[in-house]
Amino acid sequence: MKPPALAEWLLARAIGSQACADAVVGDLHEEFVRAVDAGRRAAGLWYWTQAVRLAVRFAAVRLTRGAPPAPIPPSPGDSLMRTLAVEVRHAVRALRKRPVPTAIVVLTLALCLGANAAIFAIVDALVIRPFHYPDVDRVVSVTETDPASDFRRETVSPANFLDWRRQSTAVQQLTAMAWWDVNLVGRDEPERVQGFQVSADFFGTLGVAPALGRGFIASEETMGAHRRAVLGYGLWQRRFAGDPAILGQTVNLNGEPYDVVGVAPSGFDFPMGAQVWVPLAFDAKAAARRTARYLTVIGRLAPGRSLEDAQAEMATIAHRLQQQYADDNRDRGARVYTLTQGMMDEGLGPILSMWQASALFVLLIGCANIANLLLARAAERERELAVRLAIGASRARVVRQLLIESLILGLIAVPGALLAAHGGLKVLVSYMPARIARFVPGWHDIDVDGRLTLVTIAMAVGTALVFGLLPALHSSRPRLAEALKSGGRSIAGSRNRLRRTLAIAEVALALPLLVAAGMSARGVNRFLNGPQGYNPDGVLTMRAVLSEGRHPDAAAWRRFADQAVDRLGTMPGVEAAAAANVIPSIAMGQSRDIEIDGTPLPEPGRRSSVHYRVVTPRLFDVLQLPIATGRAFTAGDREGSQRVAIVSESLARRHWPAADPIGRRMRVVGGEWLTIVGVCGDVVHDWFIDRRAPTMYLPYEQAPAGFMAFVVRTSADPANARADAVKAIAAVDRMQPVFDVMTYRELLRDRTIGLQYVAAIMTTFGLFALVLAIVGVYSVMAYVVTQRTHEIGVRMALGATRADVMRLTVGQAGRLTGVGVAIGAALAVALGRLIEAGLLGIVANDYRMVAGFGAILVASALVAGYLPARRAAAVDPVGALRSE
Amino acid sequence: MADAYLGEFEHIVLLAILRLREDAYAIPIREEIEAKTGRSVARGALYTALDRLEAKRCLRSRMSAPIAERGGRSRRYFTVTPAGLAALRTSRRALQQLWQGLDEVLDV
Repeated sequence: MKPPALAEWLLARAIGSQACADAVVGDLHEEFVRAVDAGRRAAGLWYWTQAVRLAVRFAAVRLTRGAPPAPIPPSPGDSLMRTLAVEVRHAVRALRKRPVPTAIVVLTLALCLGANAAIFAIVDALVIRPFHYPDVDRVVSVTETDPASDFRRETVSPANFLDWRRQSTAVQQLTAMAWWDVNLVGRDEPERVQGFQVSADFFGTLGVAPALGRGFIASEETMGAHRRAVLGYGLWQRRFAGDPAILGQTVNLNGEPYDVVGVAPSGFDFPMGAQVWVPLAFDAKAAARRTARYLTVIGRLAPGRSLEDAQAEMATIAHRLQQQYADDNRDRGARVYTLTQGMMDEGLGPILSMWQASALFVLLIGCANIANLLLARAAERERELAVRLAIGASRARVVRQLLIESLILGLIAVPGALLAAHGGLKVLVSYMPARIARFVPGWHDIDVDGRLTLVTIAMAVGTALVFGLLPALHSSRPRLAEALKSGGRSIAGSRNRLRRTLAIAEVALALPLLVAAGMSARGVNRFLNGPQGYNPDGVLTMRAVLSEGRHPDAAAWRRFADQAVDRLGTMPGVEAAAAANVIPSIAMGQSRDIEIDGTPLPEPGRRSSVHYRVVTPRLFDVLQLPIATGRAFTAGDREGSQRVAIVSESLARRHWPAADPIGRRMRVVGGEWLTIVGVCGDVVHDWFIDRRAPTMYLPYEQAPAGFMAFVVRTSADPANARADAVKAIAAVDRMQPVFDVMTYRELLRDRTIGLQYVAAIMTTFGLFALVLAIVGVYSVMAYVVTQRTHEIGVRMALGATRADVMRLTVGQAGRLTGVGVAIGAALAVALGRLIEAGLLGIVANDYRMVAGFGAILVASALVAGYLPARRAAAVDPVGALRSE
Repeated sequence: MADAYLGEFEHIVLLAILRLREDAYAIPIREEIEAKTGRSVARGALYTALDRLEAKRCLRSRMSAPIAERGGRSRRYFTVTPAGLAALRTSRRALQQLWQGLDEVLDV
């Protein structure tokens, strides 16, 4: 049982002398061993606390041992360490003398640094190192490249993968993975689980050893020998009660028996939250396919080979394959990425950089604020600094002294920052539903750790330099004569200019942040509550993919859908039920190229592609999707009756802009002609890319599909119908699992979760910025009023009224903010354009919002100016003049 | 340094070391003080006091052989030097003089 090594090391370093360290660290070790009986965790915590306390004490003793009690400039013979120690002690004393400003600075810094630390933690966990496998730097992801764009990551065809694996020497253990979510049938109710088909080397490539049993062997990549499975640890615990006897038993996946050969280690769910893995076996036909690209390929760099070697070799191999298979592989290259790059969601980058940028904005505003406070403090200490300069301290030395103070402020703020980051991250992580979090590698590792602590300390030091340097340089300017004179107001002019500039900068930075926050909040609101084209309230949804073994053909699909919709529709409290291949906002789609009767069919690539939906008759009722003209489907639209279709208004507009589409004919290219019987409203399928996409609807009976989503409109809260709905499907086929059972509102929430995060974080930052900016304006005004007490007294003695004085002060606050808002508005409009163009797409740049937030800023600043103004107006002219 | 002036805590530490005889290293010293005086002692304060007493030559320390349950580190055993004993004697005498005739005031 060993105490925490880092704590031990820190303590030993702080003590310094070897013998002394041995005794002290040994004592603590001895006591730790005793404390462990009370619990390992508690002992670790205890050890840390004691070690840090001792370390601080010893360090302090060492630094100050023998130092003179007063900050007398040390003689040139003194060591640098000794000099520093004196300065540190002096700085600490200076900070303790003014507890309130010190507390404000530390709090501001803690929040600003905390925001940055939190964002960095997210970037670190999701982008920099989402995977924690041994030697993960050596694991690579190999993709095909698209002829159109060299840098698009494309999935790989089986034949190309097999050729790569045979020919590559720089990348070993090439492993392909194919998405395979399956119906698991076992001792309990059936369940949809996330599975992956993987090559035999899969576990070896990642350097992961199964917790139980084994991974796959090469012979299991052959058809017939491929019915083996490795279960995920969670699945094993949950469904099989962690029974080790599971090895050698069979589980039923998609209606077929698979032998369980292993259990993955706890926490392993690569890729994408996989819960079960089976060998990826190709039959001869599949192995020869070069145009069906559906494999994700990873591998391990051979010892001594670099990523560049691998890239060069794969390029050569791909080039050879291009020549060999000129038709299928035309312009198809290959690219090697690190695993982290290769598996990262391409959409994540811009969002995260936006957050990081906003966090930096907040930090900058915080810096401006703190610089302001320090300037005010420097004014109070003007005389002290002047004296030090006068008796011979060099300017560098005074600057150093002030910087040390800033540095100490920064470091004191670090624990608070980490605490704030920890709290914020906990909220962020827990808000994400598990069903989505599994697609984000690294999501659950987001937290404060040693690395983040180091980064935060570095940020604190950097920030301290930024906010400390300006006031330090400014206050140490050698203008002794003025400062030493008793009035000393002549310096105030230039310092006030600096302070005003800082306050203006704060306002100017806050406004764009507020506008960005407002825009993203409005975007989310539109996604969630804007017109969807249908009514998502009061609807329960769920999905099913029919097991091939049990429902092999179209007739079986029809039977199943018919019975399921019937059962769901007759549940108590249900108004109507329907099924469709795809429902709006679901995370999948199907589209087809269409041909219009009487119009020549264009070349491939220029054809009209539309959303393709097959639906049971009552879908339009359940979703309250309005039929504009014509009719909805009826039970009469059956197999063998006239083939019909309903088109969306956008499709009708695209192909029959001037005429009535009812009665006209269209078809899926290569399919049978369909007669249009109705036109329905447009729906939002995806707020980003599919807002009013042309859509065709076919009767499910005439074009059945083996997968479907059910929608059920209930008279009460749809969430309460979950259990009954699952039972209704089980009554049709008790081996058929359903999944994603949730209300339509939940579905919409899931779909927009990324943007909700953007909005929540931006709003937090925006509010931060607002508060900081107002505090900034307030502190400048309060300071200015204090400084002008004398002047105000003179004015009032000469007949100025209280109202005049108020006007003067509030007016100054207003002018300050006005300038800030004007600059900020220009920035906000530019930023708004960026957001409009790049990220959200649906939120128009809104000048009213810029104006609104600008007005809020000005109003708050006036309030911030009013408080000191009231104080100014209450000045007793006689007292003010006498104060000189 | 027979005339070394002892602070209250130093006084207590020296007495605790004397009571422990052969077994006086930091952990038992701290425990002894806490047990007998009923007040808790910060580890850092004790180490500082021990160092200070050694600097005043009231204490001498030696390192033991490495011990496994301390992660192979040595213990630092303390003994009170003749100078330390003299300082204690001086303090005790001074206190006794001052205490004389005060018992009924304090009602002990």
